[in-house]
Amino acid sequence: MARFHPLKVTDVRRETRDAVVVTLRPRDEDRDLFDFTQGQYLTFRRDFDGEELRRSYSICAGRDEGCLKVGIKRVDGGAFSTWANENLAPGDEIEAMPPMGKFFTPLDGAAARQYLGFAGGSGITPVLSIIKTVLAREPKSQFTLVYSNRQINTIMFREELEDLKNLCLGRLSVIHVLEQEGQEIDLFTGRIDAEKMKGLFTHWLDASAIDTAFICGPEPMMLAIAASLRDHGLKDEQIKFELFASGQKGRAKARAVSKVAVVPGTGVQATVTLDGATRNFEMARDGQTILEAAIAARLDAPYSCKAGVCSTCRCKVLEGEVEMAVNHALEDYEVRAGYVLSCQATPVSARVVVTYDE
Amino acid sequence: MSETMNIEDYLAQGGVLTAPENVPARYRGELLRLMSSFVDSELAASAGFADSINFAPAIRERIAASRITLEKADHAERVLGVMGSFGTDVLRYQASHDWSARLPREADLGTSRAGTDNRLAVFHYPIAGWTDAVVMNVLQGLATGVQMTELTRLSYAPLAEVFREIAPREARHAELGLEGLERIAARTGGRAAAQASVAYWRPRVATTFGVAGSARYDTLRKFGLRHAPNEDLLACWEGLVADRLSAAGL
Repeated sequence: MARFHPLKVTDVRRETRDAVVVTLRPRDEDRDLFDFTQGQYLTFRRDFDGEELRRSYSICAGRDEGCLKVGIKRVDGGAFSTWANENLAPGDEIEAMPPMGKFFTPLDGAAARQYLGFAGGSGITPVLSIIKTVLAREPKSQFTLVYSNRQINTIMFREELEDLKNLCLGRLSVIHVLEQEGQEIDLFTGRIDAEKMKGLFTHWLDASAIDTAFICGPEPMMLAIAASLRDHGLKDEQIKFELFASGQKGRAKARAVSKVAVVPGTGVQATVTLDGATRNFEMARDGQTILEAAIAARLDAPYSCKAGVCSTCRCKVLEGEVEMAVNHALEDYEVRAGYVLSCQATPVSARVVVTYDE
Repeated sequence: MSETMNIEDYLAQGGVLTAPENVPARYRGELLRLMSSFVDSELAASAGFADSINFAPAIRERIAASRITLEKADHAERVLGVMGSFGTDVLRYQASHDWSARLPREADLGTSRAGTDNRLAVFHYPIAGWTDAVVMNVLQGLATGVQMTELTRLSYAPLAEVFREIAPREARHAELGLEGLERIAARTGGRAAAQASVAYWRPRVATTFGVAGSARYDTLRKFGLRHAPNEDLLACWEGLVADRLSAAGL
């Protein structure tokens, strides 16, 4: 299981009104662990009022910059991103797991490839890392970026992209699409949808020349772009996705525990929700796991190893108390949030309410 | 920048998920179930084929059986790596079951699970000799080829990528089987023995496609983890089997 390591904050630069770029340095002994590939992300953890929050942010540095940098855009009501934007300062330490993610393709210094990137808002962060690394390590390759934002002053890395364009003349082109600001060319105003993609492919982009396309942004934009790329003949293996899910889980709610006294000699009242359907049944107090009871009640609950190893059967306890015999798969913070391995969990209270849907 | 949308709607419209962090709970359960079934089946297939190496009549066949044994274990490892990103303890997982365990040849499992692991029922039956191994590999290899048309386009991108790497090598395993089957059919008495094995394995491999009108299929399709129903995949496999067996003179 991946572990967390401390990173030292060496710089915090304000990029736009609601986004910062944070430069980080691993300890010397962790240097190899944090040797990232372009397009990867870091997962951070921090305690907020006794509850652990984990958030992933993409690395925006190129591989040859010799440092780790992430871009963090403040999300309304987002505890982590607000904290990072308002409180994080050089000298602070923050815990992160080694870089993860597969949003990249292998580079070849001799290749002359055409890349096409689509970024929506802060979705630029991994794409910028890819652009910088491609420009540095594949001198014959070219990159076209279609970058969508609300308005000019929310564009992250606008200047850095301009500088890159000038530095690598003719190898990087950037098309800015702005939702709320009119531009000289109508096509570049509005959202990236099916219609806009059609326009881009008619006048600005040549689908047949593209080797690989990268898409990073919110869900509807990813759908529209992917559908259009496929319509223009790109195969699944040529399209790389990185979803910036709007629904990164909010603050983990504390486990609801009702300590109902156990009356000896009676069964346990169990309520199990799966796929939106809730079933109530009585289960044995001893010798039966939540999973076994759910299956006996004809719920098609997911499971595999039944040994507490694979985590397929994970569910969440909403009410009551259960005990796990073994747990090799869930981390402490998941257990604190109420998750259990149902193949290992037996009820301790007279009533348990669990769900496989959360 | 576009608005955001509900993750279930996104999936239903063909959206792709890219990291454990953006996977909903139910999707996670089904994804892990799907992966563990593949891993367990590959490990059981590899373990079963290991014995077949010594049934091989010649060096060429021995190499083919060794390669299949090796690569199926490798494919299991790659998918188990994706499970690891969801928290599965991969070292413990590998040791948690006896992958070479088999039921008696005449057992009849249907589509139900047996034992403690999550392998497809067909991998619980023992292989009886070289011809039997080749026939099983051909029929199951063609079935894997059909399943790969689903797996290579499922909505969890890191896993779909692994399957796209695996698919050509799995296809090669089926080809190796077909080459072996042609040589067997050309031998005296070979055809009759092969036909007996086909009669044994054909219904057992057919059940790996699951039941028609499966309720779980609807859940999986909603999540973008499946695209074609069980009965369509089964029909596709039956067509392939009929073609290939008659081409091999069976």
